[in-house]
Amino acid sequence: MSKGTIDIRGWGAVTTLGWSAWESAKNLLSGNVRPADFCTSSHLTNRDLKAFEVSYTGNPLKKSWAMLDSALTEAFSRAGLTASEIAESCLLVGTTGGLFIRNEYEFTEIVRQNPGKESPPIACRNRGPGEVADAIAQKYGIGGLIMTFSMACVSSSHALVVAAQLLHQKKIRRAIVVGFEPLLNLTLQGFASLLLYDQEQCRPFCANRSGMQLGEAAAAVILEENGSSKKSKAAYRFAGGYLFNDNNSLTSAGVDGEMAKNVIGQTLTAAQISPAEIMAIKAHGTGTRDNDLSEGRGLVKVFGDNLPPVVSLKGAIGHTLGAAGAVETALWISCLEEGMLPRSFGFTQIDPELGFAPSQVNIPALAGAYLCTFFGFGGTCTSYIIIKNL
Amino acid sequence: MNNKNKLISSMPVIAASYLGPALTPNLDGAWDEAQLPLNPDDLVQKIMGQPMRRAGRFIKMVCCGALVCLKSVPAADLKEKKIGIFLATGLGNVDEILPFITQVFKHEGGFPSPNQFANSVSNAAAFFLARISEIKGVVLTISQEELSFESALWLAQSYLESGEIDLALVGGCDVFTPTVADYRERMDLRPDNHRSMSMGEGSSWLLLGNTNGKKIGNILSVELDHNSKTRQQLSSNENILSECEKIADHLIGKHDKQKIILPGFRLIDMDHSFFKDKGWKVEDYLPHCGIHPTATAYGLARALLSGPSAFFVHCNYHAAGRRALVAAEST
Repeated sequence: MSKGTIDIRGWGAVTTLGWSAWESAKNLLSGNVRPADFCTSSHLTNRDLKAFEVSYTGNPLKKSWAMLDSALTEAFSRAGLTASEIAESCLLVGTTGGLFIRNEYEFTEIVRQNPGKESPPIACRNRGPGEVADAIAQKYGIGGLIMTFSMACVSSSHALVVAAQLLHQKKIRRAIVVGFEPLLNLTLQGFASLLLYDQEQCRPFCANRSGMQLGEAAAAVILEENGSSKKSKAAYRFAGGYLFNDNNSLTSAGVDGEMAKNVIGQTLTAAQISPAEIMAIKAHGTGTRDNDLSEGRGLVKVFGDNLPPVVSLKGAIGHTLGAAGAVETALWISCLEEGMLPRSFGFTQIDPELGFAPSQVNIPALAGAYLCTFFGFGGTCTSYIIIKNL
Repeated sequence: MNNKNKLISSMPVIAASYLGPALTPNLDGAWDEAQLPLNPDDLVQKIMGQPMRRAGRFIKMVCCGALVCLKSVPAADLKEKKIGIFLATGLGNVDEILPFITQVFKHEGGFPSPNQFANSVSNAAAFFLARISEIKGVVLTISQEELSFESALWLAQSYLESGEIDLALVGGCDVFTPTVADYRERMDLRPDNHRSMSMGEGSSWLLLGNTNGKKIGNILSVELDHNSKTRQQLSSNENILSECEKIADHLIGKHDKQKIILPGFRLIDMDHSFFKDKGWKVEDYLPHCGIHPTATAYGLARALLSGPSAFFVHCNYHAAGRRALVAAEST
């Protein structure tokens, strides 16, 4: 648990809404949101599953690097980091698929180039999730601690909390936290096999929801110890970071909402912020029954009748799995920067089991505290608060 | 600019366990690369008292290795302790991912197993371990091809120091997956960057932190040096000796302990007689576990359980040229 506040110096993101966090926020706030569609990328073999796919002309491996480069360049630029400041930074990456896309791309290319021949067995030559961090460190000359968390949907949100903890303990000076997730056959087919995939639309907290839709994204968030920068005061701070792992169910956080309530409670306590001070909630909101019930009921238990506006970004950009923490944080802050919070896409009808509707209109984003929650496979959850300074 | 992340305070080691390719806990059993992977089901039955029918091999190995470690501690010593799990892995559950993705492509998205997908998710093993050991709270999976165990140790120390946890269960696990050639490629093993040795696997664990009970040793220092160096610099016997001497001088001074170097799989030019002349023994643990990404865990756990009071430095480096040194002592 990170008890102090940490400065957010920079952020950047590539989503289906744009090749920067700024562009993504602009499109999100203006309602310029494309629904998930059938995928066109050459490595994706199943054309029946709709997903949020980043537009790109070129092979999917090059796209992965272009997404990472774009997100990092935007974050470095916004933070105003010099080459030597980047070099002394630590790098924490959260991803599940990593560069597994390389295996899928190489395999499908072999099949494509050998029509009529029997397909070879797919080889798994990529090194693993850590390959992303190694490549980023090498390209940008990052010389500090390098660590990769691969923890399903909370990979990069956990990385943010760990980074905040290490900064608070003065173990590191600056953290570059990266989230990255490409669309993969592995994950598309995996969630479809679990019957958690909505073929039509991702509808978080909606009575008509029937599952998630995946999206691809890359993002970077740069954290520093509060007040350590010689530059101007940071406009945004990170507080109350809390991570927790339950052991009751591999796939559910418990639909009674108790775990979500406890996790949010720990965050509020650590940040010394009362529920009444929360301006809005960036919920995990996957659109799956179990997640929405556990999270929604938890929120109601914490906030009661005074529930602040709740927004899920997944109806607009999809579930970006391990990247979700960094991606949704970067996109949320860019919305704060624009002075408006987006509406929650994909909602039509209140679920009587929850009794609330997520925010359906853009609302002003004033200075104050914003709660972020993430829940994942394996009983994992993360929550933290982003503070917009006056 | 300081590109070193160094653990400052030592961590008591309450218990340790090591499990290698022979699947015999805390013993250097005979094994052969050509016969791998061995079936772990008998081991699962013996350690857990029941089968894990739906779990894959990686999950079974994680759980068995960690439980051997936990069960060696009196239950009273663990009662009401906040225990954090730090699972380090280089390649994770490839044994589940490969058959799943093969099925996806084979049937063009037809009928891959949902159970196999669930088990292939990167933190499924840590979940199962948390469940069987009834641990909640801080459970982290550090998944990177190299130095993941060293990173996990460093992170565990930070959490112990913060007071958020009382004890840290830190382990490294990787499993052998055919083919040997693919396994080597995934680990970025090229002729000039690793020792010529069989590939292996392991699940080895340390329980760290303060209890009123006995301890078997201490992790004294974890040093992750991120300044890239050449393979020649990193493998130089003189340089290794110099680094180890510096650490020994700082940590144990003139204490009369046997000094032992544990060389990782990237160190290819270790001259045992050179070190012996300088007062250091080279303890080569790799023949007992083979090359795998988290072999450091095996080497350290084995050394800590080896008996007489000794001072160890485990040395290895990342293929990209970053060095990791872990110093420990058995008591």
